[in-house]
Amino acid sequence: MVNRMILANVLHRPVRTAVSILAVAIEVVMVMMVVGLTNGLLQDYAKRVEGVGADLLVQPPGASFIFGLTQAPMPIKIGEKLAQVPHVMYVAPCLFQFHTAGGLNIIYGIDLPSFKQVTGGFVYHSGGPFTGPYDVLVDDWYAKANHLKVGQNHSLLNHDFRVAGIVEHGKGARLFIPIETAEDLSGAHDKASVFFLKCTDPAYTSQVVDAIHQLLPKYQILSVKEWMSLMTSNNMPGLGAFVNAMIAIALGIGFLVIFLSMYTTITERTREIGILKSLGASKGYIINIILREASLLALVGIGLGWLGAMIGRRVLLGAFPTLSVDLTVGWAVRAALLALAGSVVGAFYPALRAAQLDPVDALAYE
Amino acid sequence: MDPIIATNELKKTYRVGKVDVPALRGVNLLVEEGEFVAVAGPSGCGKSTLLHILGGLTYPTAGHVLVDGNDFSDMTDADRTRFRRHKIGFVFQRFNLLPTLTAGQNIYIAQYIQGNGFNPHRFESVVGLLGIRDKLNHKPYALSGGEQQRVAIARAIICEPKILLTDEPTGNLDTENSQIVLSMMRTLNRTFRQTILMITHNPEAAAIADRLVRMRDGRIVDSF
Repeated sequence: MVNRMILANVLHRPVRTAVSILAVAIEVVMVMMVVGLTNGLLQDYAKRVEGVGADLLVQPPGASFIFGLTQAPMPIKIGEKLAQVPHVMYVAPCLFQFHTAGGLNIIYGIDLPSFKQVTGGFVYHSGGPFTGPYDVLVDDWYAKANHLKVGQNHSLLNHDFRVAGIVEHGKGARLFIPIETAEDLSGAHDKASVFFLKCTDPAYTSQVVDAIHQLLPKYQILSVKEWMSLMTSNNMPGLGAFVNAMIAIALGIGFLVIFLSMYTTITERTREIGILKSLGASKGYIINIILREASLLALVGIGLGWLGAMIGRRVLLGAFPTLSVDLTVGWAVRAALLALAGSVVGAFYPALRAAQLDPVDALAYE
Repeated sequence: MDPIIATNELKKTYRVGKVDVPALRGVNLLVEEGEFVAVAGPSGCGKSTLLHILGGLTYPTAGHVLVDGNDFSDMTDADRTRFRRHKIGFVFQRFNLLPTLTAGQNIYIAQYIQGNGFNPHRFESVVGLLGIRDKLNHKPYALSGGEQQRVAIARAIICEPKILLTDEPTGNLDTENSQIVLSMMRTLNRTFRQTILMITHNPEAAAIADRLVRMRDGRIVDSF
């Protein structure tokens, strides 16, 4: 009976119901998309670095695990020393450059032969390797997003580069230029930001790490697995706080709308509450009705929010193919629980007020 | 046999701003079980306040109220709510049906709140008695005033309350519907010995009661 009454109330005020559901849906979409985008971008980049196929990463002393933040690249000659460490099979130097036009992209300045040894080589969708210093290889997603074809010019780092080849995505960066060109453009001659190392067998990774530590005591040496475990929003400076702030804002929106909606409802239904009290409805009964109504609105909003997040993901990926939105069941459940909790808390004060209404005043309410 | 309602020097004072407004100034009333009592008097004489106190909707400032052996003066708000749920039925001038529910659901909800579950036999007998069987699926806005009041009476008596408290039950009805409602209340009283306390301004309504109590300035001035 209570469910029927709640449903009747919800249907009786369609605009209020729609606004409340929409607010909860927006809350869920916000939480899922912010977390999905953040984790998606991080995980996408982490997977691409894993896709390079290296077992170890060697970075200069004091370097951040966030690629590209390193201010002082290493001498490229260190690569020769690294290649002599037992069980190291291949060493590929890489100099990072940032390309900021149309979004933030890291460009790998690579030595194509050594990079090929570590990665196993690019899979070319069209075109081929560099033939000149201002040639660029772009991955298929970047090419699609920027409508690039082989032979076209593409402006990078204030220079025109010729698209020499379009390669399968998943080898670290989306853009690759010759390491010599990267050195020229950055003025860092014979330098590298990172060395990708391939061991003769992954089982030797820890032995190789120890050996390099002895050889280059202050350098950062991380296995790719370790590096990947660091790629979470909590390890990114300010990103965890940003995500938490966005979740708090989303939660606040849902809470306030439900609070306002239920508060308005209580005012509108003062007389009905008086009637229920005259029939002997207890305070608990009144609170139960209000909270269940808020929960119903929240549950429908959560369902709509999940749907909205999935549609939003498709729309975003359609418009920006290089983006990655990682919608997980875990965060869908967390967003739902947050929205439900926010709604129940938002409805609690109005419910308490309704329960405490004086029945005589409530019955006289016009 | 003890009276079902007994008040002794019952007083109620409302605080309006910084002013105390006495609504009841010492009401002494006895109502026997099965009695049909009409309470009449000018506006503001305290009739509705008396009804609200007897129904446990509000509490007295002073004095004693014994309803079916329970002293309201000693009861908490929760106790009075529980008592009201099981022992009291209300009928109001403005019908006070829940607008989002059908007539049938408006009646059923009283049984639901009482907590004894749906009693189909009682439900059938009440809707039959009040002649509203064909209106059960209608929302209140689709019913005439007379039909709404009959639904309200059905809701009030569905749980077999000890006392039916009615506040101007014919106040919003035309003559024909007033007669129907009064006749039903009379039937309830005569056939089922339902104790009824009815507030009214209507002399014709007052005339069908066993006894008329007149109030003025928060006191009972006459009873015959």
